[in-house]
Amino acid sequence: MKQTKGKMGIREFAAILFLLIGTKITDDTPTYLYSGAKNAAWISMLLISMALIIPTILLLKVLSVHKGKNLHEINLYLFGKVIGNMVSFTLLILGLLTIVMDSSVYVDIIGTMYFTKTPTIAIFAVLMCVSAYGAKKGVEHIGSVAWLVFFYTKVTLIVALFFTFKEGNSKLLFPILGPGVGGIVKTAAQKLSIFGDFFYAGLIAPFVATFKDFRRGMFLTYLILTVELTVALMLFVMLFDFTSVEILNYPFHETIRYIQIGFLTNVETLFFPFWLVATFIRFSFYIYLFVLLLGGIFKIREFEYLIPLVTVIFILLGIAPETPLITISENRDMTLQVLSPLLFVLPCVMWIIAKIRGDFKNESSV
Amino acid sequence: MNPLFKLFLLVPILFLLAGCWDHKEIERKSYVIGIGLDKGKEQGTLEITYLIGNPEVGSQQSGGSSMEEPSELITINVTDYISARNIANSVIAREISYDLLRVILVSEELASDKDFLRFIYGTVKDREIKRSTQLVVTKEKVGDYLKKNKPKMETRPHKYYEYMIDRGIETGMIPDSELHIFFRVTEEDAKVFLSAYTSSETTEEEKQGPTQDEFYAGQLEVKGETNRTEFFGSAVFLEGRMIGKLNGEENRLVMLLNEFSEISDIITTFQDPFHEQYQLSARIIAHKEKTVKMELNKKHPKIRVTLPLKVEILSDPSMTNYVEKKKETAQLEDYIESSMEKKIADLVERTQKEFKAEPFGWSLYARKEFKTLKEYMTFDWMKTYPEIDIGVKVDVELGEFGRQPKIPGFKGVRD
Repeated sequence: MKQTKGKMGIREFAAILFLLIGTKITDDTPTYLYSGAKNAAWISMLLISMALIIPTILLLKVLSVHKGKNLHEINLYLFGKVIGNMVSFTLLILGLLTIVMDSSVYVDIIGTMYFTKTPTIAIFAVLMCVSAYGAKKGVEHIGSVAWLVFFYTKVTLIVALFFTFKEGNSKLLFPILGPGVGGIVKTAAQKLSIFGDFFYAGLIAPFVATFKDFRRGMFLTYLILTVELTVALMLFVMLFDFTSVEILNYPFHETIRYIQIGFLTNVETLFFPFWLVATFIRFSFYIYLFVLLLGGIFKIREFEYLIPLVTVIFILLGIAPETPLITISENRDMTLQVLSPLLFVLPCVMWIIAKIRGDFKNESSV
Repeated sequence: MNPLFKLFLLVPILFLLAGCWDHKEIERKSYVIGIGLDKGKEQGTLEITYLIGNPEVGSQQSGGSSMEEPSELITINVTDYISARNIANSVIAREISYDLLRVILVSEELASDKDFLRFIYGTVKDREIKRSTQLVVTKEKVGDYLKKNKPKMETRPHKYYEYMIDRGIETGMIPDSELHIFFRVTEEDAKVFLSAYTSSETTEEEKQGPTQDEFYAGQLEVKGETNRTEFFGSAVFLEGRMIGKLNGEENRLVMLLNEFSEISDIITTFQDPFHEQYQLSARIIAHKEKTVKMELNKKHPKIRVTLPLKVEILSDPSMTNYVEKKKETAQLEDYIESSMEKKIADLVERTQKEFKAEPFGWSLYARKEFKTLKEYMTFDWMKTYPEIDIGVKVDVELGEFGRQPKIPGFKGVRD
């Protein structure tokens, strides 16, 4: 099966990004923010968004003068063959860690909150196989499916958040600065990588119909996701208060189990399927990005044939740890912290090199 | 089509498999509506009573004519309610499910125990127990309570508890005591948690008097052929342990002052200021936001609360016709204000002296006064509360005077 070489429009691209980062609010990502910034986690989120705006603009600048090239190809061009490959390889390893750990977290959510008796390996296998199938279909298909389910997932999320708002109390957000400015800034700096997916999105830049669409898609999702994540972080505190929200593993799932819609109780069954679909799309895209980068580094043109193999590796790595909950949360925290400075610095370095090499001059002359 | 591709098409079917492990026929499950917790015979054990609903009774299929009982009770002695599920299966034929659990009943004896917190935190571990489950304290042992509590009309237990508690919250006789609130308040560690208080036992000193909400559950005299279980007043929990109780009236005042309450239908009585032998029925409506002003940074912290209320006088036993008399109306307004203020002041004093923590949720207003959590923690709201100078002002605005405001004078009719 040859990969389709069609292009994505802004809708599909934006939908992928929305689902990719939007679902983070539903896993254990909020816990990492709450543990550092307590009830002021939402301020940390705003700071993250503000801090990353510069690298994102710089990245877009660099990408704009290398239209048709993906992130890896630009890395090779800017840093030379050896260092470029090393940079990409680092990104690949971090991507691998992210996929393995995120998938463990999602399997844990499904296993502990919904299907308690199902063996972990079964959930893992199903999640990964479905995602691999999605990835095999190519990024255009992932985009179409993402756009297809985009409204359903967002509407259910908004409904859930609205009812959370009704149950919550805004006074629980105070004292407004939480652990103090130091704590907020520190948490923000350590957890910058929440928006790391924007950087990885550079890998699919050539697949988006026009560069203008790519840039607009980035900015649009950037803005809306900032609002979405910030509001969600505020709402969880408004519902649970800062001491409780910190010890909850998955605040979103606790929320949908708690809220009632009118006379309807047990509404989590309403939200769960949509969340599940979003999860499948997210991992499909992750696997796709991974093999894309892998294929780029090792010069494998038919990289989609790698998908079944990598999927098996992911499953094996995912089920390897004995008590996943403990190992994963430690390592995940560490990965987030390692990834954070890298994602901030790398676009800046890329821009500086591009500047020195005079790439931008060509642009202005054209 | 490529055969490999066809094979991939089958992959989504795997998805169905995952559901099958957790698949269970409704018929094979036994739905627990209420869990009762009593102190066990030995240290560290619990006596658990399951109130199991019978889905067959009152359902459409059986046309409501099933001969089976609407509910079933079993009591066992175990260490916690997670392992209790399997032990209960030695008596119950079906798998025990907490999916429809509505209420956790705890006896006063266990709630006052220092180990209560250890037992109640088991609920966050169980997947099926929701944070919206109500926590209710019973005066007697829960086992006896449930045996005695046989509602005449709402025989299906899930409806009975749902309606009883919802209505109690609306009238303010009992607080909303979801586990969610219990955990939030206990973990915040700044105020007391109020839990609904109930009893099916009748005390000897039953009361029935002009002031009808000053009782605890079990004290109100009710005659007739009815279920004698009362939901009245609240149990006060400090740091996850019951330390006292509030009667119906005190609970209503707390609910009026509290941020989170959903009290919406309060009808109470005031003494007629001009005729001692009569009581005026009045509906109280909290129509405006209350204001809470705090001065916490000084040596003598102060709180000033203004509670705006709309009061509708619904009865006029003295046949005074307040609506026509401006002077009397103004006096009546003042009288209601001062009598409520006095009651609130007494209640505040009681919380400061007896409980040493507040049920009003003022800690939330206090939090606004601080910039960081550290400052707030150093201030230590709970420790400071008993020394704070608190003043509550009630601002009454008289509303309607019943459907027909004017009635003929007593003397005019009896001449």
